[in-house]
Amino acid sequence: MAKTYHRPTLLDHIRARYFATRLDTAMSVLFGALTLWLLWSLLDWAVLDAVFRAEDREHCGHDAGACWSVIDARWRLILFGLYPFDEQWRSAIACAAIVLVTALSCVPWFWNARRLPVLWLAGFAVFYVLMAGGFFGLKEIPPQSWGGLSLTIFVFAAVAIIGMPLSIVFALLRRSELPWIARTMGLVIDTIRSLPLLSIMFTFAIVLPFVLPGWLIGDKLYRVIVGYALFFACYQAEIIRGGMQALPAGQEEAAKALGMNYWHRIGYIVLPQAFRNALPPTINQFVITFKETSLVVIIGFFDVMASGNAAFGTAEWSFAHIEVYSFVALIFFVFVFALSRYGAYLERRLAVASR
Amino acid sequence: MPATDTAVRIADMDKYYGGFHALKNINLDIRKGEKIVVCGPSGSGKSTLIRCINKLEDYHAGSINVLGTELDDNLDHIDEIRRETGMVFQHFNLFPHMTILENCTLAPILVRKQKREEAEAVAMEFLNKVRIPEQADKFPGQLSGGQQQRVAIARALCMKPEIMLFDEPTSALDPEMISEVLDVMVSLAEEGMTMVCVTHEMGFARQVADRVIFMADGEIVEQGTPEQFFDNPQNERTKTFLSQVLGH
Repeated sequence: MAKTYHRPTLLDHIRARYFATRLDTAMSVLFGALTLWLLWSLLDWAVLDAVFRAEDREHCGHDAGACWSVIDARWRLILFGLYPFDEQWRSAIACAAIVLVTALSCVPWFWNARRLPVLWLAGFAVFYVLMAGGFFGLKEIPPQSWGGLSLTIFVFAAVAIIGMPLSIVFALLRRSELPWIARTMGLVIDTIRSLPLLSIMFTFAIVLPFVLPGWLIGDKLYRVIVGYALFFACYQAEIIRGGMQALPAGQEEAAKALGMNYWHRIGYIVLPQAFRNALPPTINQFVITFKETSLVVIIGFFDVMASGNAAFGTAEWSFAHIEVYSFVALIFFVFVFALSRYGAYLERRLAVASR
Repeated sequence: MPATDTAVRIADMDKYYGGFHALKNINLDIRKGEKIVVCGPSGSGKSTLIRCINKLEDYHAGSINVLGTELDDNLDHIDEIRRETGMVFQHFNLFPHMTILENCTLAPILVRKQKREEAEAVAMEFLNKVRIPEQADKFPGQLSGGQQQRVAIARALCMKPEIMLFDEPTSALDPEMISEVLDVMVSLAEEGMTMVCVTHEMGFARQVADRVIFMADGEIVEQGTPEQFFDNPQNERTKTFLSQVLGH
């Protein structure tokens, strides 16, 4: 029978995609049922049978639902770690300041060599004044007492802000026309990339103070951030170098033929296109870096993961680790998801600009 | 010191790629306003030759003087020469992340220190000249090959160069787009621009060139006016080449 064309309806679409053969039908029914069952179980556990308020703690465990009471009771510990209880509003505002600055620097209007540094300097200044105190009558609080989400975000933002320019410098040195510079940089990058992040953090936190002069040592937190930024820069430098190598040689030649000097060629022709080529792996690197901030726990800092552990570390709440981990996972998810959505937006924006 | 009406003077120039002798004892004087067409079989060194003039390629012996500036390792000299020499490439090499207008204004703003408005006015003038002012706000990827190459010519002209180098400007184009690019080059020639063109377009050579240079195996084998060159070639290799490009 000859087919006549008609606009496919939703029903046609479903039939063609999910119920085309007997095997398709069986698979669709099986996995459909499985998915529904899983979603229902999750909803049942997380919402329908769950206990939400801290005062209702005694109801926990009677039915199988989640005991969100632990979050209600301990959220300030999870979010702020060991930061003094009465001062936690400072940590909250500081955290919000960094998130705000990060969000603002995603807006194209700020992509400018003057606006971006000013924005970040202001952001870090606000963060530091609020967190550390000692100014404007704020009580002084040393970095050892910082913790929770604001510590995680601070470490991540600082690593990215120090590591990003550093990675550009590394990538440029790596492809220097002087072989000894290129090779030395290659050796440094390969060495640092072959070391575990943990060992680098340990080295910067514990070994470095023996080697450096006193005035250069700084707080342990800052040393760890510098070490982490170095590690980040080595990976990111190779990502940027890959983006540069994908450029046709004709791009730089055209810029040279127009009389543009090295810095103009790099700044206006090579890097903008290299970043565009390297965008997906760059976003990936940021996601990994955000999640690996949890390693600072090892050096004795209370990031959001560690303060989560502390939240169910008392006898009273020791049964509630699943709820706490779910909560921390949700926090990580929100940030990582936002990051990857932003990456997708950038890719779309750049694709339009090159078409 | 070359005479003041000399645009380019190449003397006893040699170039090597590793052990390969790519250009052999090149001697070439180009007068201001002269139009030169360089042709020859592929691999003969013609592209390498014109890429040496603005130092996209290094040379290893002899000397090159462009508009009175010695092309040596001095970066100031190289910059000076590149500012005064425009180049058009086989694959256009427009900057894909910038609009047509930005492609044309970038170097004048950065290198010539022009004000943006001034650079844009100049750019629009040249885009008019190559007959695509309406494309100014598009990106290179939205244009056809012929349009892109015309933009590339406009971009080079925006720097107000004394000399224009063309490196096989029509070789990557679809046949129906070749003439639109050649038309622009012809009108540029008529205005008195000094031009050095590596091309296989023999019709263009006959119409525009003051002198045709034939290269083979890294040497200048024969040169002369288009009449001499096409109607009375002397060298065997020139005759073979001409029978191949004109033979059908």
